[in-house]
Amino acid sequence: MNIFIPLILGIFVGYLLRDRIKFSMDRPMSVALLLLIFFMGVEAGRVEIDAPKLLISSLVFASFTILGSLLIALLGVRE
Amino acid sequence: MSVLYLVISSLLLGMLVGKYTSLEFGNLYEFMLYLLIFVIGIDIGKSRGLREELKRLGKMAILLPTSTVVGSLMGGLLASFLLKVSPKWGLAISAGFGWYSLTGPLLANYSPVYGIIGFLANLTREILTIIFYPLAIKRIPKEKAIVMGGATTMDTTLPLMVKFGGTEITLLAFVHGFILTAIAPFLIPLILQLL
Repeated sequence: MNIFIPLILGIFVGYLLRDRIKFSMDRPMSVALLLLIFFMGVEAGRVEIDAPKLLISSLVFASFTILGSLLIALLGVRE
Repeated sequence: MSVLYLVISSLLLGMLVGKYTSLEFGNLYEFMLYLLIFVIGIDIGKSRGLREELKRLGKMAILLPTSTVVGSLMGGLLASFLLKVSPKWGLAISAGFGWYSLTGPLLANYSPVYGIIGFLANLTREILTIIFYPLAIKRIPKEKAIVMGGATTMDTTLPLMVKFGGTEITLLAFVHGFILTAIAPFLIPLILQLL
């Protein structure tokens, strides 16, 4: 759970500096997001895909799990 | 140019670089992820009324992850029938909830082919979430659309959801991803061993 270290550290820093940080975090977040997605794309591009069947199966599984989750959330969760 | 186009361009550019070059970026992916999470942490820390926000989440914090678990498993089961794959594999692949780096190696222990499908299917879930979350929230509530991302809503897709859904969904998305991240490592082996 390494992800908790930067998160908790960030919350701590943000809390300590909450009166000093006047600028929006929007821009640094956008830059970091674009770089992260670029590197994720690099990782995805390196995966050797020989069989189109594997790709289709993956796409079907991904779509169905997303749609299933959305369906249950829309039908079952009341705010 | 909207951020969405930049996000898709960035993803496609990365895939081209990954496919056609042998450039090595070392641990930059991990570094960017941690940097991003740190920036998000600062954003949460400097925002006021955090306690009220947590209280406001209430039952949604449990209902949304439950929907994702039930919906993903149902979707995986349906997909397995459609693709004529054993339901055991369908359920195991869908129990990754987008966590491809966990699902792929776990399934590969039992079958290399399903390991690859598990990896690709969950990677595709993350990519589809990146592409379609901004579009989905134009028609459905942004809180409920969080379920699209599965376990990734606590890290890789969190910035995107915050960017398009607003900072008010940060905690909900994080808690949702956190709960699923805690469930997936137990659920995948359980399915593979029981079925």
